[in-house]
Amino acid sequence: MRKRESSWGILSKLIITFSFIIVAAPLLWVLLASFKTGSDLNDPTLVTFTPTSENWKKVFSSGIFQSAGRSAFVGVITVAISIVLGSMGAYSISRYKTGKSLTRFGILAAQVLPPAVLVFPFLDLAYRLRLSDTLVAVIAAHLSFVLPVVTWFLIGFFDAAPKEVEEQALVDGLDRFAAFRKVVLPQVAPGMGAAAIFGFVLSWNDLFYALILAPGNAATLPVRIAGFNTFRGVELGAMCAAILVSVVPVLIASFFIQRRLVRGISGGAVKF
Amino acid sequence: MAKVTFEKVVKKYGNVLAVDDLNLELEDGKFTVLVGPSGCGKTTTLRMIAGLEDVTSGIISIDKLDVTSLEPKDRDISMVFQNYALYAHLTVAENIIFPLLARGGKRVEAQGRLQEVAKMLNISHLLERKPKELSGGQQQRVAIGRAIARAPKVFLFDEPLSNLDAKLRVEMRTELLRLQRQLKTTTVYVTHDQEEAMTLSDVMIVMKDGKILQKGSPIDIYEYPNDTFVASFVGSPRMNLISGLCDRGLFTSESGIKSIVKNIGPKKTVLGIRPEEILLVPAVEADFMATIEIVELLGPRAIVTLQVASEHLTAIVNTSDMGSIQEGLEVGVKFRKDRTHLFDEKTQVRL
Repeated sequence: MRKRESSWGILSKLIITFSFIIVAAPLLWVLLASFKTGSDLNDPTLVTFTPTSENWKKVFSSGIFQSAGRSAFVGVITVAISIVLGSMGAYSISRYKTGKSLTRFGILAAQVLPPAVLVFPFLDLAYRLRLSDTLVAVIAAHLSFVLPVVTWFLIGFFDAAPKEVEEQALVDGLDRFAAFRKVVLPQVAPGMGAAAIFGFVLSWNDLFYALILAPGNAATLPVRIAGFNTFRGVELGAMCAAILVSVVPVLIASFFIQRRLVRGISGGAVKF
Repeated sequence: MAKVTFEKVVKKYGNVLAVDDLNLELEDGKFTVLVGPSGCGKTTTLRMIAGLEDVTSGIISIDKLDVTSLEPKDRDISMVFQNYALYAHLTVAENIIFPLLARGGKRVEAQGRLQEVAKMLNISHLLERKPKELSGGQQQRVAIGRAIARAPKVFLFDEPLSNLDAKLRVEMRTELLRLQRQLKTTTVYVTHDQEEAMTLSDVMIVMKDGKILQKGSPIDIYEYPNDTFVASFVGSPRMNLISGLCDRGLFTSESGIKSIVKNIGPKKTVLGIRPEEILLVPAVEADFMATIEIVELLGPRAIVTLQVASEHLTAIVNTSDMGSIQEGLEVGVKFRKDRTHLFDEKTQVRL
C-alpha cells in the first residue's frame, strides 16, 4: 500500500510540474520577447540575445499607464457596485431562497450566453444614450458578467455563516438591515475580499466589451495591447512588454486570493 | 419581569404541524423548562416567543402586551443560543454591551454595566479577547453575559449547555440557577435532556408532537407522570414499563411479574415502576423471582438488570445493600408498596 501511495505522489508531482511548465513557458517567452529586437523575434526559440529596451520605451510612451489607470478605474467601480448589490442579492438568495432554484440557475445561465450576443445591443444602447467610447458603457457591460459571478461566489459564504448570529442580533435590538450590515457582512468579509479581487481580475482582463464599446479615447489596457496589432503588422516586442504590464497586477492579485478562492470553491456552493 | 402567555397558538411549516393549539402561561420570575424529544416543538415554541418564527395563528403576549406581530427587537427579551452565536468580529466586551448599544445606549454607561456583568460571570480578564480565543465554557459565559447585560423581561435559552463537556455542563447548570435566583427574571429554557430539566426548573413542561403532555413541578412530574411517554422520558435510568393484566388489585404479566396494585379491573394495563422502587428481597417475602443478568457498579449505587422470563427490569440498588448479589443469581423481587403506576394499555394514560 505504501509503495502505491508514494508512486501516486510522484505521479501527482509530475503532473503538477508539467502543468506549471505549460502555464509558465508562454509567460517566460513573453518576458524574453519584450527585450528582443525585431530581427531577434524572427527566431521564436532564441534564448541568448542582446537585450534591448526599445520595446519598453515604446510601450511607456504609448499612454499605457493612462489605459492601465482606466482599467483600474473600471475594475474598482464595477467591483464596488457588484459587491454592494451582489452581497445583498446573495444574502437574499441564501437566506430566503429567493426565486428558489430558478434564481441560481438564471445566474449561471446568463454566464453561458456568449458576449457576442450582448455586445451589439450594448453598443446600440450606448450610442443612443450618447455613452459610446466612455467608461460608463464599459462599466455597465462589465457589470453584466462581474455582478452575477460575485453574487454566485458570495452565496456560498452566506450559506456558511451561522443563522443564529443574525438572529441573536435581531433579539439584541437591531432591525434586519442593521443586522445584515453590522453582523452578517463582517462574517462574510473574507469572501467579499476574494470576490472583489476575482471580479476585478475579470474586469481587468476583458478585451471584447471594452474594444467594441470604447475603442478610442477611453481605451482600457487590453484594448491598448490589442492596439499593437497595427496595419503594418503586429509589433510583437512592444506587445509583449505591454502584456507584462497587464499580467503582473493579476499575478499579484491571484497570489493573494488563491487560498480563499480554493476555500470558497471547495466550501460547496461556489462553482464556476 | 413578566408573564408569558400563549393563547391557541398554532405553528405550521407547510402541512407539518409543529405546535398544535398551545395554551400556556409561563409564570413571572419562574424558571420554566420545555423538555421533549427532538421535533417535539419546544424550540419552535421558544423561537415564537423570541419572534424568530412567525405564528400561524393564535396570540403570544409578554407582560400583557400582545407581541405576536412585533419584531424581535421590540419584545424586550434576550436569548442564548446553543452555539453561543457570539459576534466573532467583536471583542468580548463589545459582545456583552452590544444589546445596550444596539438599543441606543451610551458607551460610557454601558461600561459600568459591563464591569458588573463581567464580575458576576468571572470573565473580567477576558474582556479584550476575541470569541475564537476562548474555550467553549468561556464562550458560554460571554453569551450569558450578553443576555443579562440588559434587564429584559424574559430570558430565553435554547439548549445552551449541550455543546459543553459533561463536567462543565453540571457547573454551568448550577451557575445558571444561581444567576436566575439572583436576577429573578422570567426564564424559558429548552432542552432535550431530562436531567437538566429536572435540576433547573421551577416549572417543567414535557412536550411531544407539538403538544404539551404535562406541566408541573419536576417532582410532580417525576412522581405522577400523566402517561407512559412522560413516565419513561423523565428519570434515568428510565421507568420500567410492563404490560399485563390488572384484576381487582393484583397485577400479573405474562412473564410472571406480580404486584399488589390499586383495586382496578379486570383490565389490560401497563405497570410502571421506577428502578429505585424495585426491592431485592429474600424469596419468602418476594412477589416473584428473577435472575440477575448484569450488575453495573456506579459507586454508591449499582444498576442491576433483572430477567424475568423474556422481560427485563432495571433496578437501582445501594452498593451497601448488595450483599451476596452477583450476576447469574436468582433473587426475590418486590415492588415498593404504593410506588407502582398504572396506565391504560390502549390509551397509555394514567389510571
